[in-house]
Amino acid sequence: MAESDQFNGRLGLIFASIGAAIGTGNIWRFPRMVGANGGGTFLIPWLIFLFAWSIPLVIAEYAMGKRSRTGTIGTFRIFAGRRFAWMGLWTAWISTAIGFYYAVVSGWTLKYFQLGITGALNGEKVDTTEVWNAFLQSSGQVIFFQFVVILLVLGTIWKGAKAIEKVNFYLMISLFVLLFLTLFLSLWMDLSDGSLDGALFMFTVDFDMLFEPEVWINGLSQSAWSCSAGMGMCITYAVYMRKDEDTVLNAFTMGLANNSISIIAGLAVLSAIFAVNPDPLATVTGGSSAITFLALPEVFAQAPGGAIGPLIMTAMFFLALSFAALTSMISTVELCVRNFVDHGYDRERSVLITGLALFIFGIPSAVMWIKFDSAGVAFPEFLEVQDHIWGYGLMFSGLFIAFSIWKYGYIKWRKAVEEGTAAPGFAGYLGLGVSAFRDDFINTGDNDLEVGRWWDVLIYIAFPVLFFILMASYFSDMIANTPNVWDPSNPKGLSIILLFWGVVATLFIVLNKKLIERPLFRNVPEGADADISELPGGSDDLIGQVGDVIAGFEHLTASVDAELAD
Amino acid sequence: MTTAAPVALRSSAPRPTLGFLICLPLLLSFAAPVAENAYAQEPATGSTPESIWSQDYIDDIFPWAPANERILQFKEYHTYETVKNRMLRLAEDNPDIFSFHEGMNGGTNARGEEVTANAYEGWYYGHSSPWMKITGDVQDGDYNPFVGDTGNYPDRHDVMIVGNHHAREWMSYTVPMMQLEVIAFSYNNIGYDNDGDGLVDEDTWGDSNGDGQLDDDGDCLGLAAEFQDSNGDGTNCGPGDHGVDEDYSEQWITDLVNSREIYLIPMLNVDGNIYDREVYMPGQCPGEEAWDCSAAGWRKNLRDNTVTGITPLPDLDEEVDEGCDGVDLNRNYQFEWGAPLGATGPLVPGACYAGQNNDVYNGPVDTVDQDGDNRFNEDHVDGKDDDGDGLTDEDWLGGNSEPETKFIQDMTEMNDDTGDGSSEFKSTLTHHSFSELILWPWGHCTDCESPDHVQLQYHGQMMADMTQYANLQSSSLYPTSGDFCDWHYGVHGSYCYTSEIGTAFHQHPDDIDHIAVRNLGLGFYIAEIADSPRERADLEIANISQQNYLKQPSMITIPDEGDIPVEICVSNQFPYSATDSKVQWRQVKPSRMQSDFGPREWSTTPWETAGVELVDGGCSLAAGNGTLLRAMVPVSETATGKLHYKATVSTLGGADLYQYPADGDYYVLDVTYRAAFGSVVGAFFTFSLVATFVWGGLAVALRIMLGSEEDDDKVYEADLRDTSIEVGSLSED
Repeated sequence: MAESDQFNGRLGLIFASIGAAIGTGNIWRFPRMVGANGGGTFLIPWLIFLFAWSIPLVIAEYAMGKRSRTGTIGTFRIFAGRRFAWMGLWTAWISTAIGFYYAVVSGWTLKYFQLGITGALNGEKVDTTEVWNAFLQSSGQVIFFQFVVILLVLGTIWKGAKAIEKVNFYLMISLFVLLFLTLFLSLWMDLSDGSLDGALFMFTVDFDMLFEPEVWINGLSQSAWSCSAGMGMCITYAVYMRKDEDTVLNAFTMGLANNSISIIAGLAVLSAIFAVNPDPLATVTGGSSAITFLALPEVFAQAPGGAIGPLIMTAMFFLALSFAALTSMISTVELCVRNFVDHGYDRERSVLITGLALFIFGIPSAVMWIKFDSAGVAFPEFLEVQDHIWGYGLMFSGLFIAFSIWKYGYIKWRKAVEEGTAAPGFAGYLGLGVSAFRDDFINTGDNDLEVGRWWDVLIYIAFPVLFFILMASYFSDMIANTPNVWDPSNPKGLSIILLFWGVVATLFIVLNKKLIERPLFRNVPEGADADISELPGGSDDLIGQVGDVIAGFEHLTASVDAELAD
Repeated sequence: MTTAAPVALRSSAPRPTLGFLICLPLLLSFAAPVAENAYAQEPATGSTPESIWSQDYIDDIFPWAPANERILQFKEYHTYETVKNRMLRLAEDNPDIFSFHEGMNGGTNARGEEVTANAYEGWYYGHSSPWMKITGDVQDGDYNPFVGDTGNYPDRHDVMIVGNHHAREWMSYTVPMMQLEVIAFSYNNIGYDNDGDGLVDEDTWGDSNGDGQLDDDGDCLGLAAEFQDSNGDGTNCGPGDHGVDEDYSEQWITDLVNSREIYLIPMLNVDGNIYDREVYMPGQCPGEEAWDCSAAGWRKNLRDNTVTGITPLPDLDEEVDEGCDGVDLNRNYQFEWGAPLGATGPLVPGACYAGQNNDVYNGPVDTVDQDGDNRFNEDHVDGKDDDGDGLTDEDWLGGNSEPETKFIQDMTEMNDDTGDGSSEFKSTLTHHSFSELILWPWGHCTDCESPDHVQLQYHGQMMADMTQYANLQSSSLYPTSGDFCDWHYGVHGSYCYTSEIGTAFHQHPDDIDHIAVRNLGLGFYIAEIADSPRERADLEIANISQQNYLKQPSMITIPDEGDIPVEICVSNQFPYSATDSKVQWRQVKPSRMQSDFGPREWSTTPWETAGVELVDGGCSLAAGNGTLLRAMVPVSETATGKLHYKATVSTLGGADLYQYPADGDYYVLDVTYRAAFGSVVGAFFTFSLVATFVWGGLAVALRIMLGSEEDDDKVYEADLRDTSIEVGSLSED
């Protein structure tokens, strides 16, 4: 049996997960949400949902990945059953589809780092709108930086877990340092006008706003997206966990680290904007890219320290931003690649194919439909439409995870009832079924922290309720605010979302048959407790471990071995 | 100009020559800048009356009579005799436009009653009301055998102007007499220079140029301050002052006479007037003039209420019993007659209660079963079918019982030139005194509005502007039932106005001329609108509505805290309703749907409504002053984005709604965050809380992790040191 691919240390998993979780959303979306939702008021739902939504889902993901030892497709094939492997495909597809344009966005951040370090953003006469418009309109530039990002990401994941671990480690440490330095300069700027009003705003609770449903929904959505909870990233990275990894502590560490970075980034951005902007909230509540690429360079240009201060601050900020984007990009690509590798494809080839797909399918987002809004600011409409279509598709991955948990609990309870070891009826279900997943996959003995009943409550009750609220509010908002929302030719309408989702889901459900005809190779470390026989999809001849020879698919073993031999 | 010669014959006043008339437009164009300059001058350095006007004008010598004709110059009051004689004289001198009548011939009236001419004769002295039919070619046209007049043309709009319902209100017949003089003098006397300043027709009634001043040509305003209040009423350059509305267009009056049939009844209550002048006032203050006497005077007609038995039964042998006799003619009309509002309830026929105030006695209860159904008075006049028999107002309770009111009734109802069965009088005016008011229906109910409330108010305001009198619904002064205007409007749909002229019943003779001048425009205005008063009002209200404006964003100051005031400036001429007017607003906020990569998204809230209230301070419009209506728009202090706002100004009663700015449009106001950014204490507390949870939690988690797996981490760190893989080299791998 070949050796499995795994992280070297516990911090490796943590850093990789944090890298996946911390993306541009923490740095450019979070300050906007704080601005639009009453400052400190927003922090309350945001924090509550970290514990009520994000961390429980991350725990579930870690637990599933740690047990299944495969990417998303394999995990759902094992946990939800053979008929539901398509759920993993959906998860993988959404993540990859987002990756198509996220590589472009990551390219923007790299470009702005380049502009920052060369001082092109800080001159007296620099009009940040002009810089932005010129950049977006020069297709070559955008594609070039997209290409650079993809190269960097491919290089990182080429070799698998250990390289991912190291790159994430360095980038995350750098990100912390850069953000802290930016924060220091921002606070200095804000202090120099006599008050820390950015910080005041960010930490002052407006109790009237606290009763606004909108603030809570925004808190939920920010927590759900920013942490990447339920999106399959943690399933993927859990594949590389060492055998006795603590899933619960890791989940808490990752979630809290993610929010820590949000606070630091938010404080830095808000302080800087409040320091120099006459109407900071009007600025902060604008679109994310407008804050980041238009407002912040202007603000940073007024940093103290003569010519050097602004230069350093701009460069540092955009470098941090591009690190955040890169690490998220790495996890996105790895999620896709892992699924190929699971099914017996050669890793290098998978990486190349994924990279090529990312590049080719990202080009439309990079260059198509560059439009101008009413204020004369360019924006890539094709990219925005992609985000519009796939953004909320992510949520379903979380729903599928919950579905797997619910299903496992029910099956186990039914089986126990048949065997006579559990009571029939609702009380029996509560006693055995509801806690089954937790008992069998979370509280495995590897954890320093035992997860209590609260987790069941959150997954069985809070999650579906919150999922419904999130979806309902998103769609009702869209219906209320979008003209021609039902027109299928309206790229920002609802019909186009439902159309794409419907087509993709139908296709995947049809493909499910083909999918489960493929063998699946689990990446199980030696001595790991990874028994899957109790699981719905566990008794499957086509599922083996890395190095196993599966009847009818002998030719695949060689390529897996070849990869691991490197 | 062919009529210039005959016109000149009619009067001893100097007349312009033909050549002068031809040159007028030219002269006018020269004079225009002069008038402008005069207007611009400061009153302190202004001119004297002598430098502008003819001496006759300054001395209030009217051109239609020699200076020593005190009555014709309106320096003394007309009496019944002089009224009648002057009307006869004017009719004789102007046979083409005037025909004189007393009472009517009678016959079968519109209600099927046989009426003889003497039905219209006063109870006591036996005179019928004298009246003048005024229209171009009055001798031609159709003959109306009942009324007895010729000059009935289906295409000419009839207008009725009535003076002296109440005997003691002497200015109320004086003003119509002056209108007669002006019509006689002005008809076909085109381009006459009334004030002798070399300009013609430069200042007609009202504020015709919309600058907020009645003095359109600015001659009065150009006077030195001490000359500006020539009538001494305390208002400089107000109506009745020299130079104010003094030179109307003779062409306009001529056209009006040619296109209207004016029924001018200067003295309706002849009985009462004679009695007041000759008996009552001398009895109250023997040897004194009426205006010096503290007694109010005789108000009613002279119905004999003291006869027991069958009423009416004129008793000429008996002296007038001042405690009992007479009916208040302006409470005797049939519409809602008898409702005990502002009128003494119906007396038992012939009875008189001692000590009761009979001044507003509205006449006896009807004793006739008009429809012959053996039920009495079952359907009184209110425009409704009270008894549900399919007929409306067919068996009335009372009213129109007096010769004078019956005269008005039959003149109104028998004057159907077009033969369509409805009254021809689309507008009517009755002069009263005193109180300086313009009143209009309803009178019989309080807190009520007629269907034409807004339009009635509009024309009322026009006349109030002309006279600087107060404009109000009749019942807002005090409720009255059975008055002339409620009947005219309620039964015949006529836009009917009551003017309350002057400041006394028996106004001092020194004030006759200028008060008459002040009220002269009313009769012409009512004649002008006689074609279609409702449509005229609607059109004009719509025009005025264009002066109103909603304050633009640049005129709005957003306060540091609280709601945002949005103000509408409404013309004082506009019959606005503060209750029904409103400001609509919505906010455009940064959207919750904010896209991460697209342009800034906005979400627009639905339109909401904020009520307005009247605020002090007023505002200025293109033409004159306006009233400020303010809505407080509840925009949160934490809001950012835009405020869209627009206003709907409603006319009274909500009949018409006007949108500001134009329909469907709205103004956009930038809204910035106004609330405080936060407090140090609160922020510190929240920060501590968040830091404890997030960073504290993170520290605990890391501590557990590192503590429990110290060994693993040592291995990991060692690995990191030993590693040969570097980030930069990965892509080349």
